[in-house]
Amino acid sequence: MPTDTKRVRGPEVSQSPSLFLWKSAAKKSTASNDARVDGRQRGQVDVRSVFVRCGLISQAKGSAYIEAGNTKLICCVYGPRETERKDETDMKSGRLITDMRFAPFSCRERGSWIQGSDEKDLSLMLLESLRPGVCLHKYPRSQIEVNVMVLENDGSVLAHAVTCASMALADAGIEMYDLVLGCSIRQEGATYLIDPTFLEENGCNLASGSRENLGSLTVAFLPSLNQISGLQSDGEMGEDTLTGGVRTCIEGCFKLYPVIQQALSKAVRRKAPPSES
Amino acid sequence: MENVLCLNRSTGDTSVACCMGSLRTRKNTCGVSVQRIMATVQVSEAEKVYVLHGVRDDLRVDGRGCEDYRHMEIETEMVSNTDGSAKVTLGHTDVLVGVKAEIGKPRPMVPDEGYLEFFVDCSANATPEFEGRGGDELGMELSNTLYKVFNNRYSVDLKSLSISPGEHCWVLYVDVLLLQCDGNLFDAISVAIKAALFNTKIPKVHISEDEEGGKEIELSDDPYDCMRLNVENVPCIVTLCKVGHRHVVDATLQEKACSVASLIISVTHKGTVTCVRKVGGGSLDPESIFEMTETGKRVGKALHAPLMELLQEEESLGKKRQKVGFLDTTLIVAVSHCP
Repeated sequence: MPTDTKRVRGPEVSQSPSLFLWKSAAKKSTASNDARVDGRQRGQVDVRSVFVRCGLISQAKGSAYIEAGNTKLICCVYGPRETERKDETDMKSGRLITDMRFAPFSCRERGSWIQGSDEKDLSLMLLESLRPGVCLHKYPRSQIEVNVMVLENDGSVLAHAVTCASMALADAGIEMYDLVLGCSIRQEGATYLIDPTFLEENGCNLASGSRENLGSLTVAFLPSLNQISGLQSDGEMGEDTLTGGVRTCIEGCFKLYPVIQQALSKAVRRKAPPSES
Repeated sequence: MENVLCLNRSTGDTSVACCMGSLRTRKNTCGVSVQRIMATVQVSEAEKVYVLHGVRDDLRVDGRGCEDYRHMEIETEMVSNTDGSAKVTLGHTDVLVGVKAEIGKPRPMVPDEGYLEFFVDCSANATPEFEGRGGDELGMELSNTLYKVFNNRYSVDLKSLSISPGEHCWVLYVDVLLLQCDGNLFDAISVAIKAALFNTKIPKVHISEDEEGGKEIELSDDPYDCMRLNVENVPCIVTLCKVGHRHVVDATLQEKACSVASLIISVTHKGTVTCVRKVGGGSLDPESIFEMTETGKRVGKALHAPLMELLQEEESLGKKRQKVGFLDTTLIVAVSHCP
């Protein structure tokens, strides 16, 4: 692993000051009981309002930018391009390649440019969530590249990456069965927090809240087909809590759907040539 | 292409006749030979239909029901250099897990807990596709899933792994080696990890302070003076493959090739779910997911009790235990007769 020779790191036993900042921030968030820090409610389907825009990057075939609270992501799609590997499977259907990266300045601690195992795992989840939505059989011997870059990480990154990527695919004109929307939820005891922020996702591990049902869940959903294309859960939950959480995430996706549709139709109208009459 | 499949379902022996050219083949093939010991198999359309119809009637190709596991063999204490090890054979899938305990520095966020590190190595023995860097992707996917499965407060009592808070703790390096690959890797790996952690013997340490105030760690001289882990809450992973309209537990490679999506669910003995993950390139109906979660929970819960009984029985045999090792005795005889 290449070491950073330009920065002076301090002696071996020193600890980063952000660790102590973290603990005090976690203590603050446990004080409030009903309202969340940004004014949303616990136990209700209260997703953050999103700002989406397509077609930012002129070089890419399709691109999209999404902002939900402080989480900012950008996605570009290149393709369909001719694939390098001439496998037998590539003759019949296309291939989708996803890559999800975090900018080094996106999290509290500076990340590295080298892709860690977390990022590889997220890229794989992104691929599994998007693949059912794209008509890959219409692009034999081709590959479609989807690159997501997280500019600022304030929670539920995977869910918004899925939404952003499917918008970018639609903007690129790739044929799809349906848009794929993502939603995530953090379960804490009896209540849940939908679309959690970074502090809500991580901070409550340290808090001595209820011992049961502590976990997070991310769902990728195709609204008009009513199919789940991606599901990932973490932590410890009972079966009923899990089922309830999935249903809540589906509701959250339905809330997001009209906003995404509107943004896409705006983008299409902007791209379309002006009518004669 | 119309194929008339007449199925003669007697236990274990199935023959299929195709009207095109009257191909008659025995034992779960339909004109296409299934190569064992490969990460993927090719199946023809007719074979897929055959498998689908069977699953619909709750009878799989090898005679099992939809919720039955294959024959599983578990043996612990295989490798003497480790602190705990186990080998699990599930059908033709072979997994070897070794656990080594080392003293390290605790994580800054949780200074009074030890931690576990997972690493899965897909050996090139399993299939030539894993040679060189080929098995890295699969290995990384398996390791990441294991991290998620154990990412909760109850699976392993991490506080018992602490030696002195903030300074020293036990780090358990769990290394998984895939020797043979015949589908259903997650289940075999999770059972092997549970058995290996049960078998792990961590030496007891004694901290003494010397004159300057520095701490010294002493390991006890008695090799049998060790700490055991409580593996009651360690979850087991159940993989459910969606084949047609029903789902099957412990799918072989052939059944996996006929399914579009699978659900991996890790269940503790109490029935709590620690990790759910959908894998595969297809999509699932929410109702199917709920059904599969319920089945997974039921099957997973039922797996723990017999497993713990077996492990405790093996442990109680002590020195009288017959070690099977890596090779079957019949195979050893055959090799020695080779010219």
